[in-house]
Amino acid sequence: MPTTETGHHRTVRALYDFISEHLYLNRPDLEVGGEKFNSTLLWSLLTALLGGKALVTGEPGLGKTTSAEYVCALLYRIPLGVLWGSEVAGHPEQTEEKMVGRPDLGKLNRGEEQVVWSNFVQLPVKIIDEINRLPETKQSLILDGVDRGNWEYLNQILLQDEYCLFATANYQDQGTQTLIPPLLDRFDVMLESKHPGANLSFFISQQEKKDNLLRDPECERGFYAVLLDKATPQGKGVKLEEIGGRFAGLLHERHTLTTLEKEERRTLRAAIAGLEFSAEASAFMRTALTELSFCCTYGQKRSNEECPEGCHYSGYLCYQVRNCASNRLPISLRRYAQALAWLLSSSQVEVEHVRCVLPFVIAHRVQWRDAYVSAREREARRDPLPLHLAKQAVAEIWHRFAEQREQIMSALAQAARILAGEDLRPLEGDHPLFVEIKRDLGGEQLW
Amino acid sequence: MVNPFREFHTHQRQGREIPLDRILATKDLILERLVAGYHTLIEEEVHNLVWLVNHGALPRAYAAAEKALAEVNFTVEDVEDFCFTLEKADSFALALAGPSGLYLSAMCNRVEGTEVLLRLKGLKSRVHLVGYRLPEGKRLIVEGSCGDFTGAAMEGGEILVQGNTGNWTGVGLRRGKIIVEGNTGEQTGEWMEGGEVHVKGRIGNLGQVRGGKVYLGDRQVAGR
Repeated sequence: MPTTETGHHRTVRALYDFISEHLYLNRPDLEVGGEKFNSTLLWSLLTALLGGKALVTGEPGLGKTTSAEYVCALLYRIPLGVLWGSEVAGHPEQTEEKMVGRPDLGKLNRGEEQVVWSNFVQLPVKIIDEINRLPETKQSLILDGVDRGNWEYLNQILLQDEYCLFATANYQDQGTQTLIPPLLDRFDVMLESKHPGANLSFFISQQEKKDNLLRDPECERGFYAVLLDKATPQGKGVKLEEIGGRFAGLLHERHTLTTLEKEERRTLRAAIAGLEFSAEASAFMRTALTELSFCCTYGQKRSNEECPEGCHYSGYLCYQVRNCASNRLPISLRRYAQALAWLLSSSQVEVEHVRCVLPFVIAHRVQWRDAYVSAREREARRDPLPLHLAKQAVAEIWHRFAEQREQIMSALAQAARILAGEDLRPLEGDHPLFVEIKRDLGGEQLW
Repeated sequence: MVNPFREFHTHQRQGREIPLDRILATKDLILERLVAGYHTLIEEEVHNLVWLVNHGALPRAYAAAEKALAEVNFTVEDVEDFCFTLEKADSFALALAGPSGLYLSAMCNRVEGTEVLLRLKGLKSRVHLVGYRLPEGKRLIVEGSCGDFTGAAMEGGEILVQGNTGNWTGVGLRRGKIIVEGNTGEQTGEWMEGGEVHVKGRIGNLGQVRGGKVYLGDRQVAGR
C-alpha cells in the first residue's frame, strides 16, 4: 500500500540518482517494488540514513571505500577531503592512539590528562578501510565504539548520538586476518562492491576528477579547524553542523541537490522506525529467525554443538547452520526493512521488503556446515559465496513459508488468543516455528 | 507476561481453495446424497424388514431405490465409495444386508459405465441381492463374498464373484452370466429361465432350474 511521497523521499531519491549517475556507476542487481537498484549503493545509502553499520567487501579498486565516501559526504554534508582525513586504515601496526584518541602531550607535560580525540571518533561518519588487516586484538579495541557509539580513552568518554560505520574488507590474502564473530555480528549488512562490467568500466575511465563534485577547500579547512581544536568535543557539533550547512549550500548551487540537516535526519529516522510490519511480514521474519536459531534436540543452536544425524528437521536450515542468530540480527532486519519500505513509499513493511533485506543481513553472520558450503560453492552465481549462500537460504525459507503461510499465520493467531486467556490448543504443523510457539506457550517440558 | 503474538490476535484464517478441495467437496456431497437416498429407502421399507418372502415387496423396494437415486448424478467411483461407506458404517441401517444390496444393485444398474468393481471383502455382514436386475452390457466384479439372491432376476450382463455366494444364487435369472469363484449355497439356480451360472467351487444344492445352464467347474450340472 503506497503512501504519498514526501519532500524527504524526493531528497533521498535524488541523492541516490545523483550518486548512481555521476559518482558510483554500477549495474542494478536488485529489484524490489517494481524498481531496480544497485544493492551496494542502496544499502549504503540506507546505512548512512539509519546510522547503521555496513561491511563492504570486494576486489581492490572496485569502489568499496569511495561508494561509502560519496554516500556519507552527501547524507552528512561533509566534504570528501574531510572524510579522507578521518578514515582509519586497517593494518597490523594500527594503534588505539591513532584510531580513537591520544593524550594532549603539552598538557601531559604539565601533569594534566586531556584526550585529543581522533577525527574518526569525532565525526558521525566512520569509515574503516580494510578492516580485516587489523589483527584480532585490535579489532576488539573498536568493538564498543562500533556497537554503541561510546569511545573511551584515559578514563574519558565520548558519546555520540548519531553515527554510521562503513568498513571495507578485501578477500582473504596473506595480509588479511579473520574478522572475529562478535565484530562481524555488529555489522547490520554485508555488501559487495562489484565490477561494473566492461562497458561501464570503460565509461568510468573517461570520468576525470569526479571527486571534485563533493569537495570544497574552504569548507574542508573550516572542518579541520574545528576538528583539530583541542577543546573538548562539546560544542564542536554545532560548529560542524554550521560548516556542513555551508557545504550543503554549495551542493545545492552546483548540482541543485538538497541534503538533510541533522534534525531532518533525526525526524526521518523516527518516521522510518514508526513503520509497522504487516502480519505476513512479521510471520515471515519469525519463520526465518526460527530456522536460524532453532534446535529440536538441544533447544537452540550453539556454535560448539553439532546437529545429531537423522534429525526430523534436517530439511530445514537449522540443520545446515552452526551458530545461533543473535538478537542483533532481527534489529538489523527490522530497521533495514523499514528503511526500504519507507524509501519505496510503502505505508507498512511488507513481506517483500523483509525478503529483500534478509540475505544482506545474514550473509556475514551465519556460519554454515561444511557440507552445505561444499554442496553450493560451485553453483553458478553473481555474488560472493557468503551472499550467494544467504540468498539461496532465503529462497528456501521463502518457499517453505509460501507453502505453510496460512498454517503459520493461524498458529500465531491461535497463540495470541491462548496467551490472552482463551481456552484453545496450539496448532500443530511441521515447521519448527510451531515448536517454538509451543515453547512460548509453555507446552514443551523436558523434565 | 509479554504476548509476543499480539499483533496476530485479529488475524482470521483465510480458507485458500485449491481445485482438489472443490473436487473432494463435490465427491463428499454426492456420497452424502447417496447415503441420504439409502436412508429414505430404509425409512420407506423399514416396516417390512421381512419383505424378502413377499414377492410384491421386492419390486416395490427396488422402485423406491430407483426413485431415491433419480436425482443424483453419480459415477462408477461413487458406487465404489459407497461400498467403503458400508464397510466403515457403524449404523444399523447401513448394515442391513438386504436393502443395502438392493440399493447397490440399483446404483450399478443406473450408473454410466460398463464395469463396476464392488469391494465387499471387509464388510461385517454379507450383502444380499447383489446384481439384482443387472441389465445387458454391464459387468460387476465383486471382491469378496455375497449374501443370498446374488444375480436375482438378472436381465443380462455378467457378475464375477471372487468369493462365495449364499443361497438362491441366480434366482429368477433370465439372461446373462454369473461366475462364482468360490462356493454357492442352497437352491442355486432356483426358477432360472435362461443365462448361465458357473461355480468353480462347490454347490450346496441346486434349485428348480427351468431354463439356462448351471455349471460346476467345466461340467454342466443343470439346465438344457
